[in-house]
Amino acid sequence: MADGGQVEVQGALARLNGVRKRFGETVALDGLDLEVRPGELLAVLGPNGAGKSTAIGIMLGLQEPDAGEARLFGRSPHDLAARRGVGVMMQEVALPDALKVRELIAMTSAYYPDPRPIAETIALAGVEKIAERPYIKLSGGQKRQAQFALAICGRPRLLFLDEPTTGLDINARETMWATLRKVVATGTSIVLTTHYIEEAQALASRVVVMAKGRQVAAGTVSEMRALVSRKRIECVTSIALAEIQAWPEVSAATLEGETTAITTAEAEAVTRRLLAADPTLSELEVRRAGLSEAFAELTAENAEEPAR
Amino acid sequence: MTVTTDATPVPPMSLARVIGAYLSDAKFESLRLLRTPAFSVPILAMPILFYTFFGVILNGGGHRPPGFADQMFVGWTVYGVMGPGLFGFGILVAVERNMGLFTFKRALPMPTGAYLAAKLLMAYAFAIVVMAMLVTAGLTLGHVTLDPVKLLTVASVMSLGVIPACAIGLAIGAYAPASSAGAFANIIYLGMAFLSGLFFPLSGFLHDIRAVWPTYHLAQLARAAGGMNHEGAIGQHLAILAAMSAALIFAAARRLSKRG
Repeated sequence: MADGGQVEVQGALARLNGVRKRFGETVALDGLDLEVRPGELLAVLGPNGAGKSTAIGIMLGLQEPDAGEARLFGRSPHDLAARRGVGVMMQEVALPDALKVRELIAMTSAYYPDPRPIAETIALAGVEKIAERPYIKLSGGQKRQAQFALAICGRPRLLFLDEPTTGLDINARETMWATLRKVVATGTSIVLTTHYIEEAQALASRVVVMAKGRQVAAGTVSEMRALVSRKRIECVTSIALAEIQAWPEVSAATLEGETTAITTAEAEAVTRRLLAADPTLSELEVRRAGLSEAFAELTAENAEEPAR
Repeated sequence: MTVTTDATPVPPMSLARVIGAYLSDAKFESLRLLRTPAFSVPILAMPILFYTFFGVILNGGGHRPPGFADQMFVGWTVYGVMGPGLFGFGILVAVERNMGLFTFKRALPMPTGAYLAAKLLMAYAFAIVVMAMLVTAGLTLGHVTLDPVKLLTVASVMSLGVIPACAIGLAIGAYAPASSAGAFANIIYLGMAFLSGLFFPLSGFLHDIRAVWPTYHLAQLARAAGGMNHEGAIGQHLAILAAMSAALIFAAARRLSKRG
């Protein structure tokens, strides 16, 4: 997926240049280039283990890259002045749980040069009902909402949200999406990691797909949607694999035991062609290619060349 | 540090807001520990209970040899003043490292200094409460022969002990796993109290190595402040305590800022 149509914007708010990171034997990031542009909501999509959280951790200076560099507002992420422009919502974070949500917001706001008034943060994050409750008494979803309030309280220019809606019910997710749109409208850029394609579709102005520590695709939401609207056709057929692979509508075809598996964006056309070419065809099954299949396919396609 | 300017500037933080951030952290640190009885009750209650038992009840109404009551008072103030720092840093830093709070705060624009300063101020606040209880008990029940001015002088000098206590606690918290930090803190706490001769005289090898323990130096400073007989020069004790604290804080801060 090319990003040739994108205008190159100078002055990225945050960027990773050729970042590599290993944890023991596991390669978490394998030469990742990533930049966050002013005013955008960038969704970083990828299956578990793709390296999304590691990429954010390195941008924030929480982890050191083995090679390459991270810049935040043109500075080192360790520079306090750079982090004053950032709001964060991480996975698996614990907070001083004897404190009430309002107190946590007050404590976090104090770190920023020009935070929102506490009441405004509470209203914007939609945490009025839990503001006076100790954090320890909150449900999993309410904790995510409280963490979201902490992320936005400092009026950050750049917001990092690592899987923000995991564990939220539908209403809470809709509320958070609405708030994110409001926050972007105030000029804040957002980096959002998710494995929900719907979340990216609902919010993102640009999408980066990661797999195995690399960027395997980048582009607009509609480009990504086309990518994952591919269907997977399975059947038992006597047509030669090479012949199917040569059909223009087919993006990939493999033989898995007796079953031929075909990936295509035009399932109807391919099915018609299959049935016409092989009257004995059996075990026909057509389904939407899952995200993980789309990612796996992208990874395989990009395995031979460095990520663009 | 070189700063490139290829991006929009971040608004600067005024000095007043920086100081405010430190104070706010200290306030919320104290508040949450007061609301955590597993922490606040032992730290606040144990020194006064021990002092009442060993220093008042076992003293049998002042029939012990002269100086016993004063020695008990000094001993338990040293003990009391070390607790908040040792546990406030030792256990909490280890637990917070483990549960990800420290990671979260490192991602925020909170300098390492504010995290530590908040805990230091919290330890001071708790130590003042402990000290107030001990002074009150010493004056009313303890048959302490020191006059109130000397008692308060001892108590104020003792507040110096918060710093080495915090330094030891911080080192425990930075290196020990969360599950065993409490055990380490307790062993070191009680071990230091007894092995430095706070409550009974030492002999042999233990006597020879008593200067290893910060509590020994602190107790000598307290005795000097109370006009009691003491060993060594005041400046020497202060210098040793300062050097021990600085070395432990340096080692711990290095580890925390690198690994979190």
